[in-house]
Amino acid sequence: MKKVIMGNHSVSHGVMASEVKVISAYPITPQTHIVELLSEMCGNGDIDAKFIKVESEHSAMAACVGASAAGSRAFTATSSQGLLLMHEMLHWAVGARLPIVLANVNRAVGPPWSIWTDQNDSLSQRDVGWLQIYCESNQETQDTIPQAFKIAEELQMPVMIVLDAFFLSHTYEIVDIITKEEVRKFLPEYKPEIKIDTKDPHSFGNLGGPDVYMELRYMIQEAMEKGIDVIKRVDKEFEEVFGRGYGLIQPYRCDDAETILVTSGTVSSTTRAVIDQMRDEGIKIGSLKIRVFRPFPFEEVFEVLSKAKKVAVIDRNISFGNGGIFYQEIKSALYGRTDIPIVGYIAGLGGRDITPSVIREIADKAIGDDKPERYINWIGVKK
Amino acid sequence: MKPAVMPLEELMGSGHLACQGCGATQAMRFALKVLGPETALVIPACCWAVIDGTFPHSAVNLPIYHTAFETAAVVASGLKAGLEMRGDTETTVMAWAGDGGTFDIGLQALSGAAERNDDIIYVCYDNEAYMNTGIQRSSSTPVGAWTTTTPVTNYKREPKKNMIDIMAAHSIPYIATASTAYPHDFMAKVKKAKSIRGTKYIQIFAPCPTGWKMAPELSVKSARDAVTSKVYPLLEITEHGQKLKVWKDFEPTSVRDYMKVQGRFRHLKDEEFDQIEKDVEMKWQRLVAKEKMLASIPGLIE
Amino acid sequence: MVKKLEFKSYKDMPIRAMTLSTMMWNLTGSWRNVRPYYDFKTSPCIAGCPTSENIQKYIYLVTEKRYEEAWSTIIESNPMPAITGRVCFHPCMSKCTRKDYDEPVNINAIERSLGDMGLDNPGWMTKVKGTESQKVAVVGSGPAGLSCAFYLARAGFTVTLFEMEKALGGVLRWGIPEYRLTNEVLDRVISSMLEAGPIEVKTGVEVGKEISLEELEKDFDAVFLGTGLTKSRSLGMDGEEGDGIEAGLSFLKKVNGGEKVDPGKRVVVIGGGNTAMDVARCAIRSGSEVTVVYRRTINEMPAIEEEIEEAEREGVKFHFLAAPLEIKRNGDSLTSVVFQKMELGKPDESGRRRPVAVEGETFEMEVDRMFSAIGEQADLEGIDGMLDCEWNLIKADQKMGQCSREKFYAGGDVVTGAASVVEAIAAGRKAAEKMIRGFRGQSEPEEIEDRIVGIDDMNIDYFTKVKQNRVPRIPSEEIKGTFREIKTGYTDELLEKEAERCFSCGVCNYCDNCWVFCPDVAIHRRENEYEIDLDYCKGCLICVEECPRNALSTREEGK
Ligand SMILES: Cc1ncc(C[n+]2csc(CCOP(=O)(O)OP(=O)(O)O)c2C)c(N)n1
Ligand code: SF4
Ligand code: SF4
Ligand SMILES: [Mg+2]
Repeated sequence: MKKVIMGNHSVSHGVMASEVKVISAYPITPQTHIVELLSEMCGNGDIDAKFIKVESEHSAMAACVGASAAGSRAFTATSSQGLLLMHEMLHWAVGARLPIVLANVNRAVGPPWSIWTDQNDSLSQRDVGWLQIYCESNQETQDTIPQAFKIAEELQMPVMIVLDAFFLSHTYEIVDIITKEEVRKFLPEYKPEIKIDTKDPHSFGNLGGPDVYMELRYMIQEAMEKGIDVIKRVDKEFEEVFGRGYGLIQPYRCDDAETILVTSGTVSSTTRAVIDQMRDEGIKIGSLKIRVFRPFPFEEVFEVLSKAKKVAVIDRNISFGNGGIFYQEIKSALYGRTDIPIVGYIAGLGGRDITPSVIREIADKAIGDDKPERYINWIGVKK
Repeated sequence: MKPAVMPLEELMGSGHLACQGCGATQAMRFALKVLGPETALVIPACCWAVIDGTFPHSAVNLPIYHTAFETAAVVASGLKAGLEMRGDTETTVMAWAGDGGTFDIGLQALSGAAERNDDIIYVCYDNEAYMNTGIQRSSSTPVGAWTTTTPVTNYKREPKKNMIDIMAAHSIPYIATASTAYPHDFMAKVKKAKSIRGTKYIQIFAPCPTGWKMAPELSVKSARDAVTSKVYPLLEITEHGQKLKVWKDFEPTSVRDYMKVQGRFRHLKDEEFDQIEKDVEMKWQRLVAKEKMLASIPGLIE
Repeated sequence: MVKKLEFKSYKDMPIRAMTLSTMMWNLTGSWRNVRPYYDFKTSPCIAGCPTSENIQKYIYLVTEKRYEEAWSTIIESNPMPAITGRVCFHPCMSKCTRKDYDEPVNINAIERSLGDMGLDNPGWMTKVKGTESQKVAVVGSGPAGLSCAFYLARAGFTVTLFEMEKALGGVLRWGIPEYRLTNEVLDRVISSMLEAGPIEVKTGVEVGKEISLEELEKDFDAVFLGTGLTKSRSLGMDGEEGDGIEAGLSFLKKVNGGEKVDPGKRVVVIGGGNTAMDVARCAIRSGSEVTVVYRRTINEMPAIEEEIEEAEREGVKFHFLAAPLEIKRNGDSLTSVVFQKMELGKPDESGRRRPVAVEGETFEMEVDRMFSAIGEQADLEGIDGMLDCEWNLIKADQKMGQCSREKFYAGGDVVTGAASVVEAIAAGRKAAEKMIRGFRGQSEPEEIEDRIVGIDDMNIDYFTKVKQNRVPRIPSEEIKGTFREIKTGYTDELLEKEAERCFSCGVCNYCDNCWVFCPDVAIHRRENEYEIDLDYCKGCLICVEECPRNALSTREEGK
């Protein structure tokens, strides 16, 4: 059934279809609609879940940790300050190997207070060990939720789905709504062997000495690495049931492109429009959307970018003292394997619109600068 | 031989990592004896996070979830919800935290769980400081006490936080204090808590010989003296905060005697002891008056 | 032994920190500097009991309603609890720790209840056949003789018990009035003891006169003399032999023998011991007005305190610091006695202050009858000469009763002078035990010094003040004209309540405290004992501190 719904509600529908058992969340703009609709769904029985209305995001993640440890499928959604407050528990979910799914609506971090989009909230959680998937459309957002559960439960790792504030969260699009019945064909019921169970009592997460800690961390990395194939396979399985797949990355007109713009989130769609326009002008340009940020799809990215002559990375985020975060990741993917120039562009922080003309500016700059001096280029800063 | 005075089953075993004479460890053993095997525990950062033992070993034969310092209550809420959603409605979920994890850093999550009246037992073993990190003050540390962050030159001047009143303000169905010196009282309270739905809060006075600079054999004695000197009244608050019962059936003992065996109070002078004694008596009087007052409101309790 | 789990490869590990085993591999016993151990000590009551009844143990057994075992425990050291439970001066109770806390446990009343249960359950007394070849003559069937005969017979030795009177019991029969110890109880006790083993009884035979000690020495492997004090000491006054003046003991003998005697209206009893009290109380029961005259004060009276109290309660008057000086008669009949007033001087060899006459101060008292009860003496005819004697008593080893001739043993008042029933029982038993060791060629047991605990050794936080349970009795107003037993004994309920009062000083009574409080689960609760698991005991010593009764001790490791 197709419906015109907002991005936030596409999250809720994904959660409902995935038959989540415990939801715990705390409201924050621009995530609120997700939990409002989920509350309603719980209230009217559309979804058979317990919704723990906690007093903070820290507790929201902690409640999910408890629920997931008990062997129930658990979900939360948040944004920005909320995600940052969760930080400690994000680590906990990873160390405890809990397949929790979290939707984060990308919102800039204060001060000053900002409710508008940028990626610094989720990207500053880069190293905690959550899988991160950046979505571009309402359909993709909805579809990624059951995918995320399937991936998470197979890897015993938590997965974060990321969507842009307002540009996606509050934007209405046509979505082919998935149902529980359909999803059951794709996502089996969650029945973990190891869980909090009085019939098989274990103590989880107690003191681990230097003699065991590294091995446990090694296994997390191993799961991440295995994740590349699992994500690909799950995506294919999803496609078999629903006819839609999204891949790890999405190259657009890259085959003969001399310049490739690397994007993530909603900027990707805008960029494609600009690419089409520039192609019409005869410019050999393409774009690459990074969908899965963690685990980072090194090989896939290398495959696409190594054929280009120049790579420009658009970052709606900044790692202060270094540069754009995607930019760093792309560099490391190509490091030592090619000497294509890679240039980073910082744009659209705190919700500033990344319009087609901004992208055109970046593209022109990227093509024009043969040897850019600064590998970090700020776009649109009023100087 | 007479029948055993408490259940024989031991869900907590030997070999654990508690110090000699640890009250928190006794408390756990007592609680588990009445809760039985259909119990799951949540333990945040605190001494008990260590006492339980080292991965892959545990001294407690129950499912335990070790969690972050401030999350005991809410992880318990989540756990309970998770268990229920996968069809296990029988398991009792007990959060087991220190005073730091309760009075301080975990207060928010505990308040949340209590306000929601989530169906958990929350036990705070109160050893009156952050012991696991090396005896720093908490808001449960009593006035006059030495800790590593309240050195004798600047000992704790602030009174202990009244956590019981805070919990009572949440109108939860059951609140009690206990002491390791009165295991049967404690076990009865845990048993009662198990039979009630909603959030149950029990705060057990659990001496820490290491942190109190006291000989370990005095652990139980100090737990007893705390009660009989009225420093740590044993009470129960039931009917969602409407009914208060204070235990008074004991021979009163001296506050000073209670404090004097503990090195953490050794620096106090006579005048300071005088003041503390007065405060203890005043608080006791207030407590008893409150008990009377609540009992006298007609029609409040059927 | 539980082994510590170690992983060789991450592949053997679970993906998350999750326990797979217990902490039992961690032998925390190595943390310990000092170790606790169960170390039972001596309850002060036991040390206070002349015959060393295991009081703590039988009271404990009573709390468990294990009455037969409790009774048997007493029988090991005292064959007649139904009697001591009535007449003992119970020095155990003056040592009871509870005396320093609230009131002593009424051990005496508990003992009586058990003694009575024993009489009501004759099956409890195991019957022994004569299995040993040796034969022993026991002379005198008072508490010492009966006790000696009993323990010999119980060990399988054949005993011939000689008694000069027609009935057995000695002082128990002739010296103790019915209202304290009825003949019925006495008879039942004696017959139960006689049935317990090979004892042949010869009454109406006066050893030393009708049969000589030489004969006994020839016919028996050993002889025990428990002949007691049978002669009254005379006042040494002019006119003492005449009408109206009688030895207290002979009066008691008549009364106890069931003879109807009229002591007359105004009766005076001279003396301050138990015989004086018995005489006074018998006289009051016969309707007389009785005054006890004693030459010292109430504080020096040798009588059992309770007896004095009872006498007072029953209406006996006391006149202290006076001694008879002159007997006045009208013709043959006694009219009055003149008394010399006394005062207390320097202490004599007994430690009591010696009474001295207050020069010129006398008073006169009209009297119909005067009983002298100033003490009894042994009749050593036929003994003296054969055995060493001293102070008109047989000289014998105070502990074992050995006399100056190898085969001879003696015990009870005839050795100690006027003492108590329980001391006589102890002497009889110890002499029997000594003989048995001799017959069997066993060596003397090593003497272990008692470690007696007192209130300061206990953790009294565990005790609450509870008054002693009073023993039900017939009202004092009802005693006139009857010799009914005054105390009716504890009911089952009172018995249990009183037994619960016992602190079980120095000895574990399975209160579970040590087990309850062990933070290391290192105390195992077994059937009738606890075991400290030294593999895990960290040596916190809470068990030692929290044992209410000091049943544990500590020892430094490596020492
Ligand atoms: C967020 C956080 N802050 C600080 C700590 C360090 N920490 C661990 S336990 C502890 C003190 C615990 O005190 P309490 O709750 O009273 O338990 P106790 O150690 O006394 O048993 C502290 C400060 C932590 N683990 N997590
Ligand atoms: S309390 Fe019991 S064991 Fe202790 S002295 Fe008294 S009777 Fe004996
Ligand atoms: S504490 Fe109780 S159980 Fe333990 S030794 Fe002492 S009396 Fe026996
Ligand atoms: Mg603490």
